[in-house]
Amino acid sequence: MAYIISDDARELLKDVKEFAEKEIKEQVKAYDISGEWPKEIYDKAIEMQLHMMDVPEEYGGLGLDHIDQAAILEQIAWADAGVAVTLNGNGLALKPVLIAGNEEQKQKCCDIIVNGGWGVFALTEPDAGCDAGNGKTTAVRSGDEYILNGRKCFITNAQVGDFYVVTAMTDKSKGTRGMSAFLIYKDTPGLSVGNHENKMGIRTSVTSDLVLDDVRVPVENRLGEEGTGFITAMKTLDLARTWCAVIGVGLAQRCIDEAVNYAKQRIQFGKPISSHQAIEFKIADMEIRTEASRQLVAHAIRLSDLGMSFGRESAAAKCFAGDSVVQTALDAVQILGGYGYSREYPVEKLLRDAKIFQIFEGTNEIQRMVVGRSVISSH
Amino acid sequence: MEILVCVKQVPDDYVEVHLDPASGTPGVSAIEQVNNAFDAYALELAVRFCEANGGSVTVASIGPESSQSSLKNLLAVGASQAFLVSDAALSGADEGATTSYLSQLVEKCQAEHGSPFDLVLCGKESTDEISSQVGAMLAENMGVPFVSSVVEVSPCEGGLMAKQETEAGYSNYQVTTPAVFTIAKPNYDPRYPTIKNKMAARKAKIPTFSAAEAGISTQTNRVTCLGYTEPPKRQAGVRIQEKEAAEAVNKALAMLADAKVL
Repeated sequence: MAYIISDDARELLKDVKEFAEKEIKEQVKAYDISGEWPKEIYDKAIEMQLHMMDVPEEYGGLGLDHIDQAAILEQIAWADAGVAVTLNGNGLALKPVLIAGNEEQKQKCCDIIVNGGWGVFALTEPDAGCDAGNGKTTAVRSGDEYILNGRKCFITNAQVGDFYVVTAMTDKSKGTRGMSAFLIYKDTPGLSVGNHENKMGIRTSVTSDLVLDDVRVPVENRLGEEGTGFITAMKTLDLARTWCAVIGVGLAQRCIDEAVNYAKQRIQFGKPISSHQAIEFKIADMEIRTEASRQLVAHAIRLSDLGMSFGRESAAAKCFAGDSVVQTALDAVQILGGYGYSREYPVEKLLRDAKIFQIFEGTNEIQRMVVGRSVISSH
Repeated sequence: MEILVCVKQVPDDYVEVHLDPASGTPGVSAIEQVNNAFDAYALELAVRFCEANGGSVTVASIGPESSQSSLKNLLAVGASQAFLVSDAALSGADEGATTSYLSQLVEKCQAEHGSPFDLVLCGKESTDEISSQVGAMLAENMGVPFVSSVVEVSPCEGGLMAKQETEAGYSNYQVTTPAVFTIAKPNYDPRYPTIKNKMAARKAKIPTFSAAEAGISTQTNRVTCLGYTEPPKRQAGVRIQEKEAAEAVNKALAMLADAKVL
């Protein structure tokens, strides 16, 4: 099963599949080892417009249905989850701008992306991960400017960013209601990028600290009113979690495909191991989990498209897809046995790539908190 | 430069084909139809030429109505218009008949396009029947110069330079236009469509004509295919698994001697 998409989108998906197979799948093996950001792959992806699927049509975007977009992002993630995370980073950065920005800000950020640039969303801090409201980064008003100081961490695409959406406390005493969001453009004095994290997986995605040292930001670059930054960030994450789940599903599908291909040609006890029920059941469980994740995603997208509340469903999709992909990757390694543990075979990388899906865009503990509170408060 | 690229839909050549035991013909009915790979190279070459030197690229095909989908995909990667002739009376044509239909289709496309084509491109062969005849016969029919297996085209005084790939290397030809070239694989691949172009192309309407509407009169085949046979299955090789290299070499030499190779 897969997403139910239009015939035209299916034709587009064939091109994306060809791109994923020919331009991503094999090339990323070397980048996974080196940890280098594969600019050559991203340049080609930009040429195909795979980096701008979140730009709304009225701002120069593509006008794809969200479900078509999900199918495309899943296909990219199938080839490499890190590449999908990087491309999706533009969507993550655009969301707060589209939620809270004015027309000028929206157009400017969309233009940057349409022209091949990168957006960055910077919320997390060393002491403010799950507890995002506990940020130490400050923004102090000084005339027509704010002066920002602080340090953000685990920031996707920070090294290559053209615009940054940064949250900072404008009034510490008000807690989360004292947080505001700002647009900062590349090359603004005082803005610098720290170390690139040497990560376990998704190594084709660049993750770094973002350092703000007396960064002067004009008042007109504030996104929305003062004090609305936390709400904007939470709305952003509601939307973003669905897309995170989409990427997890693509990775899980790859695990299934690799495991099945291997199981059909690996002969033990005189027959392919895919004919042994122990393996057959494992593959069935992999498929059930992955398809269930996919349909949770499809449901969250449908609710969002209908303008209905979808925060609970988005968190559920992210959480379930995240837990599922880790188990599915573990199963793939198990099916390949000793070869699954070897770097000569592809599934070892898939397992390393999978783990992050229980961690980023809100840990799965936070997702359960969101779902649990939503269920309890609605009773 | 106005360029026409002739395109044939063929079964996806990534799929292994076997003979259908009932009909004795290649079992391709379940295989997806795609644009012939060499025709796709021809389009990419034509589009690159026009991007560098100006002009436009038209694509045309004879095939079932379902070919519209493949033609739309070519609009997404640089063709500016596409025409299709779809008529059951034209199916099963041999190379001679196909050439005749194509010649008439070129006329029809010129009338629709509003100006004559300076260059007509075909793939050097189709990946299904691989007869490699139609391009050359089309040039003959049209009475224009022909170069086969072209991998590069550039403008020159009085016409075009065509770089032909040969077994030994390359030959360069200067030809007057109009001309027909068949295209081999250049040193690049066809581009991927941008998402925007793809979605716009999918909404395009492809003008589709019957044989009569296209001014095509049917012709009897002069070549008949008598039957198909599958290539013999490759026999399993011999494994020499002696532990010591010296023993393995001795065994291999003995086997070669037995087979009277040595």
